[in-house]
Amino acid sequence: MAKGSRKEKRKIEIMDTALKLFSKNGFYTVTIADIAKELEMSVGNIYNYFSSKDALAKELIMYISKILGSNIRQINMEKISAKEKIEKIVRFYFSMAKERPELIDYFLRVYLSHREVFKDGCEGMICVSPFVTEIMIFFEEGVKNGELREQDFFSAFGLFMGYLGGMVYLKGEGMLPNDLDFYINSISENIYRALKNEE
Amino acid sequence: MRVELIEKIEGEAKLEYRFKQDKIDFVKIVFPHYRGIEEILRNRPVWDALAINPRVCGICGHAHLFATVRAIENLYQNAGIDVNIAEKAKLIREITLFCEHIQNHLKWIYLVIVPIMKSIAKINIDQNSFLEIQKAIVNINRVLAIFSGQWPHSSYMVPGGVVCDPTHLDILQARNFLKNALNIVERRVFENIVFEEITVAELEKSKTDSGKIFRFLKENSLLSIGKANDRYLIFGEHSFTKRVKIIKTVSYPVKMKYVNEKSQKSGFAKNVTYKSNYYETGPLARMMLLKPNLIKQLHRAYKDGISTRIFARIAEISFLFKIVEEHLNSIELSQKSYNHIKTDIKEGYGESAVEAARGSLIHKIWVEKNIIKKYEIITPTQWNLSNGTPQKPATAQKAMIGLKNGKLAELVFRTFDICSVCTTH
Amino acid sequence: MKSKIVWIQGVTCNGNSHSFLNYQNLDIFLKKVEFLYHPLLPSKYSLKELSEKRFDFDILIVEGAIKKSYERGIVSLNTLMEKLSIKARKIIALGTCAAFGGVFKSYDEKNIKGLIFDGEEKKGFFKELEKKVINIPGCPAHPEWLIYVLNMIEAKKKILLDDFLRPKEIYAFTVHSGCVRNEYFEWKVDAKSFGVKEGCLFYEQGCQAPYTHGSCNKILWNEVNSKTRAGMPCLGCTEPTFLKEELFKTKTYMSIPANMPLGVPKRAYLTITGVAKSFKIERLNKRLIDES
Ligand code: SF4
Ligand code: SF4
Repeated sequence: MAKGSRKEKRKIEIMDTALKLFSKNGFYTVTIADIAKELEMSVGNIYNYFSSKDALAKELIMYISKILGSNIRQINMEKISAKEKIEKIVRFYFSMAKERPELIDYFLRVYLSHREVFKDGCEGMICVSPFVTEIMIFFEEGVKNGELREQDFFSAFGLFMGYLGGMVYLKGEGMLPNDLDFYINSISENIYRALKNEE
Repeated sequence: MRVELIEKIEGEAKLEYRFKQDKIDFVKIVFPHYRGIEEILRNRPVWDALAINPRVCGICGHAHLFATVRAIENLYQNAGIDVNIAEKAKLIREITLFCEHIQNHLKWIYLVIVPIMKSIAKINIDQNSFLEIQKAIVNINRVLAIFSGQWPHSSYMVPGGVVCDPTHLDILQARNFLKNALNIVERRVFENIVFEEITVAELEKSKTDSGKIFRFLKENSLLSIGKANDRYLIFGEHSFTKRVKIIKTVSYPVKMKYVNEKSQKSGFAKNVTYKSNYYETGPLARMMLLKPNLIKQLHRAYKDGISTRIFARIAEISFLFKIVEEHLNSIELSQKSYNHIKTDIKEGYGESAVEAARGSLIHKIWVEKNIIKKYEIITPTQWNLSNGTPQKPATAQKAMIGLKNGKLAELVFRTFDICSVCTTH
Repeated sequence: MKSKIVWIQGVTCNGNSHSFLNYQNLDIFLKKVEFLYHPLLPSKYSLKELSEKRFDFDILIVEGAIKKSYERGIVSLNTLMEKLSIKARKIIALGTCAAFGGVFKSYDEKNIKGLIFDGEEKKGFFKELEKKVINIPGCPAHPEWLIYVLNMIEAKKKILLDDFLRPKEIYAFTVHSGCVRNEYFEWKVDAKSFGVKEGCLFYEQGCQAPYTHGSCNKILWNEVNSKTRAGMPCLGCTEPTFLKEELFKTKTYMSIPANMPLGVPKRAYLTITGVAKSFKIERLNKRLIDES
């Protein structure tokens, strides 16, 4: 399917709509029929795009992973320090959480919480690879130029992404007194300090 | 003084003769090259020595690898770390080491000794005999490569064992290659596998190249030239050797701390002594320990003259073939090839000795924070080719003094199987 | 007529000479060539004659690094090289020392170099000879590689060379291709330790084969094996960067190998790795040969 083709556009529309509905009403409540109705399409037509709800679920996580990955990739390509990159990644992540909360929501509340949906064909890194790959590259370059400390990848990954996810979660639960933006600087600083090379 | 360039001895050496009344009165041995291996090792991670040291020498790199592995294991042991090498790994290490000896000795006969004999008098061993023997060498090195991956220059021994994990199929192949090699060697070099047990009288009658070499020496009255100090030293401990010195056929235990290495004014080789005395090391020393019949007889008749030295090396070939075969038969494949060892060293020292083809090879390593601070290598040729004084000549010097001409001296010199590159690592 | 070869040595361990003696068809080969000088084999001239006599020959083989002042016979290596390199039709820099400087270079960086190259730079002592020179690096070089080049020269066939003057027919491959551990590489299963036939040595043990040019796993060593097949990491000995540091450990940055397989972009590698690692292939995670 050529990018930008009508069919592709339609597919993205379906995914965006599904994400919004899932976010509003919960993954298990929303059916394909609900999505069709919202889009004023026939159910049969939706099945032309996605063979099942599970298939849709998997495509969604890949879709999100690509969006996150391509943005972080832009940051990775900039000729700036790891410290600055951290700040940019944090800023980007929080802005996503604000502008398209349904994306992060899906990632945290559906992908990470309902692993049973993703057990076939989305094992391990498969469906989140564009995103994780960019985080790997960010780390690798930081360590290589001496700014960040050598350590196990997952220790660093968990620290970075767990932290951001946790903040967005707290925000979602209405537990944060301030807007996410308020925390960008201090969080970036914390992450940087935790990762930086002290030698 | 007359200077003679000796070549094709894994590099070159110069012999500086002083003649008196048509006889060599004194001779100095000078090695011109230096490659700085000990410097190259400095400030590198400990295990890098495993990759660098085989490159000391293209013909005995395995012995250097073995010495390195033992030195590092000794370093760990001295630091209180448990080093546990399975019997299987020990056997494999010896198999590859002894294969290296075999190929070395074969090359020595046909590329080092026979050519110089030819230049002295007629000997009925033709040029092409090496090409036949070369097929044995190819096969022996295959046995080696089955375990080590390749020869020359593998680093397959690591502290804790060996990296390979052979199957019965590999062992079978190794046995076949060994057999191929042995068939060729038996045909050319000795017809009898218990070569080391034959008598001098039988050797003299033999149709093989060994017989021809013996008769050459006899007909030209060379059997007993080249006597050195009749003192031997073995440092490398293996399944058939122990750490001893042998004086007048009696052996005594020795300690590493009495080994002394000193720089010389000319050339790059360093002098080595044991308690200030010069010793001979190598196949003759090992055979003096083992005392097979042939060597006993030769030694009785010609002391440590060239005939004893030459046939000690040839006898060792036959002997090593047997050990390699026994080892191949007794490997227990279910044992572990490698046991992981903790390798963190704040500060420490390790030393080792192995028997290389040419004799005892000693390595010493000093380490700080996992980095090599100092490394020392003492090679067999250094033992044999040290330079003493006219009053107290070293081993090879003693063997050459009194000879009538440079050609004979060169023959004697070559019986020590010189390795220039090792000597001047 | 037999082609005439002169084989001389610079700063070396003789490893290439001994590797050459492993050639399985040496007898056949020696009928086709004549060594005017060889460091081990009987040959027409002595070292002394080599520098004193006038003679013509075809191919010069240089084993070992160049150190101009190094003594070789009765003259310096430089003098000997100057004399012989003019006459030679082709020059083969055999082994990594002759090609790039090699192991001994680090003892005296400024004065020890390859013929044409000094490490990765074209700053060898004889770089004006570039047109005549073919590099056959390797520590040591495999005898088949040398014989192949000699045959091509004799047959007057064109030998395609890469940027480091290495014949592509030998060095366009990576050492990784043909290793019996390839499946483990594909599925990112590392060798759990040394001494096992299972697992790939790229992740922990420092195997450099995926980015090392050479045919070690295609043209086997001693016809039977290779380092990596036996279980030893490739040390990258055919490259101008030989010898690197910390050779038995894979250099990583946050668990990601510092060196990528030849020509593979990091993103592509990490993507595939992530996917491959997401599956646990049972067969590759247990011993290959066991009782069950
Ligand atoms: S061990 Fe080395 S050569 Fe073999 S598959 Fe792994 S990376 Fe490739
Ligand atoms: S496997 Fe690697 S280190 Fe070994 S010979 Fe081949 S290129 Fe050199």
